[in-house]
Amino acid sequence: MNSLERTGARDTLERFSLAIEQIGPIIALTLLAPSAVGLAALGAYAGYWLPGPDRVAMFDLLRILLLVSSAFCVVGPLLMPSMERTNTVRLLLLPIHRRTLYIAHAASAFSEPWVLLAVAALAGVSAGLFVAGAVVAAVLALVAGLLLILALVGMSTLCASFLHLIFRDRRRGELLALIFIVVVPLLGLLPSLMGPPSGTREERLAERRARAERLARGEEHLNERGIRIASSAFGFLPSELYVRSMRYAAHRDRTTAAASLAGLGLSVAILHALGMLTFSGLLRSPGSSAPRQAARATLFDRARIPGLSRATMAVAHAQLCLTLRTPRGRSMLLSPLLVFGMFAILLRRNGGAFDAGFATLNSGLGLATVSAATCLMAILPFAVNQFAIDRAGLTLALLSPLGRRELLVGKAVANGLLVGASTLFCAAASWMLLPSGHPALWIGLLLGLAATYTLAAPGVAVLSAIFPRAVDLNSIGRGSNAHGAANLLGLLLFAVAGAPSILLTLLATGLLHRPALAPVLMLVWLGICWICSRLLFEGAAQVFARRSENLGMVKSER
Amino acid sequence: MELAVETRGLTRVFGSLRAVDGIDLAVPTGSFFGFLGPNGAGKSTTIKCLTGLLRPSSGTMRILGLDPLTDSVAVKRRIGVVPEDLALFDRLTALETLTFVAEVHGLDRTVARDRAADLLRLMDLQSAGSALVTDFSHGMRKKLSLAAALLPAPRLLFLDEPFEGIDAVASRQIKDLLQSFVARGGTIFLTSHILEIVERLSTHIGVIAGGRLVAQGPIEELRAGASGAASLEELFITLVGGDTRVPIALDWI
Repeated sequence: MNSLERTGARDTLERFSLAIEQIGPIIALTLLAPSAVGLAALGAYAGYWLPGPDRVAMFDLLRILLLVSSAFCVVGPLLMPSMERTNTVRLLLLPIHRRTLYIAHAASAFSEPWVLLAVAALAGVSAGLFVAGAVVAAVLALVAGLLLILALVGMSTLCASFLHLIFRDRRRGELLALIFIVVVPLLGLLPSLMGPPSGTREERLAERRARAERLARGEEHLNERGIRIASSAFGFLPSELYVRSMRYAAHRDRTTAAASLAGLGLSVAILHALGMLTFSGLLRSPGSSAPRQAARATLFDRARIPGLSRATMAVAHAQLCLTLRTPRGRSMLLSPLLVFGMFAILLRRNGGAFDAGFATLNSGLGLATVSAATCLMAILPFAVNQFAIDRAGLTLALLSPLGRRELLVGKAVANGLLVGASTLFCAAASWMLLPSGHPALWIGLLLGLAATYTLAAPGVAVLSAIFPRAVDLNSIGRGSNAHGAANLLGLLLFAVAGAPSILLTLLATGLLHRPALAPVLMLVWLGICWICSRLLFEGAAQVFARRSENLGMVKSER
Repeated sequence: MELAVETRGLTRVFGSLRAVDGIDLAVPTGSFFGFLGPNGAGKSTTIKCLTGLLRPSSGTMRILGLDPLTDSVAVKRRIGVVPEDLALFDRLTALETLTFVAEVHGLDRTVARDRAADLLRLMDLQSAGSALVTDFSHGMRKKLSLAAALLPAPRLLFLDEPFEGIDAVASRQIKDLLQSFVARGGTIFLTSHILEIVERLSTHIGVIAGGRLVAQGPIEELRAGASGAASLEELFITLVGGDTRVPIALDWI
């Protein structure tokens, strides 16, 4: 394997995919320079007009950008493990004082693009104020800018150290990763979930009036109180303190500006004190502290699917274990369930109809259909990278007396079981919540999903063999994503494989007006898909055979 | 003489590098064959070709009389491998790993369970049987990988650095086990940088340097041929040309 890596013996596809991965940072760097110039210009423009009587829209834009920069300082170390700071364990071996180590650790935050871009924008504000003739305000802007940068560096360093402390314990890290993967994508739905039910314009206006009256009487709902407290706390964010101090300084209210500046200075001191404390904790015990994790009783001896060999079932079991024991794998099961739960709540709150953006959900069957599609999409990152996710385990499979077909079918069965289990759950729950629609259509939906997956399974195996990507399924960010090309083609593949099922349903309901025919048509289609799939798996096995050497190389590449 | 491993002109090329350059191996059945060579000599690449992980660029191979390129599944049923990168699924437990191996080999479940228990006891892994491999130390992984290779009772074992990272007690037990495996007619193809171990265990050795096989045969014959080299270390250094290097004296240490 070393020889392979050293000589870089890869075929054209690997060279291409490697080039795409390596070109990313170059593009980012190329974009960084004009972005920094643009932000400096934006800052200068905002600074120049800030002393004027009018509200400066560019300064408001700058405020948002600084907020985004602050947010990236917090989530950046979590999303981009590749930007991990210097290896503290190695540095500990050198005769360097711990305080110096902290400074070096913190200084590496300056390499983060959001910090660099903030530096450019803040320097621009100071320059703009200076050109506008507000010299004192310009000096204050320089000091405030410096303090804000130090605050951003402090936030980033604190978060990086804190995450190191958490992830040092593998199980704790995995739990955090799972929460992050599953919960964060759903935050976008929170406003709909917490806000008032959608209705007519008059209903919304009436609700708003009632709320204003309630607030005037001093009555406040729990969520409203939470929002009020959060708004107050929001004002103490370093970027907000910077904005406030600049506004007052530009309008010559130096006392209030100085107070905000002092607040900013205090936040810098607190952030770095906490950062130093956390970093010291990290240095005290830099090794991993994870206890051994005992797995629950194995499935190996139990479940059996008729018609599948023991070897195929062993592969399927290994794939299921891998999926159910990694944060990314668990998220594959949990995310569709959470999406389903969210939509179900919204549907119930809105009297059985909800505009989901891409479609209007107005029945249990619609909810089940959306959930089934979500379940199918959730498996995609695994299905299109099914060999590389095994990492060293793939070598064990390649050394075992397994037929290629057994390996491919085993993996397809495991992925199918996962999609099937989550879809069945969502469909059953949808039926219980909103039991509308012809029963035959519900059965047709499940058969259609089975047909789609059966037809697409050999294709995604081929994509996995052609576009393997070494991944860490404990990772939250792109470290656990499949190859971009595989993801895109996999999505298209599922869409193409699903199209006949949709057409057959439309034929049964729209053209023939006989919904009861839908499951019959779908059953026939499933049979055809199964035969096609058997034939296609032969081809997929050939592709896998040609690519197995390359897969062996990629699986350990990080 | 019946051969467990036989190659003719086995070559593997990576770009411009000939990692394995036309080697003719002959490993007798029932022998403990030590395959030696300096770092980057082509040992692991040879093992990968023999076990089917890499396809040779040219040449022929026979493993236990079968061609691994055309009868790969049949060959894999008869061999056990402990590869360089320890082929294990991170998210299976030790017991599940052994069960996986037993299932793909089609072993009887009761036999597999008994063998797995024996092997876990031998490797001192019984207390970690339900722990995930991802939490194992390097030494524990090595032992589990060896247990997985031994479980189907293969006729030929390929071991790439099996003693690296293994404690002295387990190492002793494994050595005894491997010797009894050979005594019962099994064949072992072993690579190791620990020449003392190879010298003590091996009946035959092969030495590879720069991708070429520079010597092979019974260890005593080779030693006698090399002007009566006192130890395997001396023989090895003579064969790979280590003596010709200019010694570097670090006087400042």
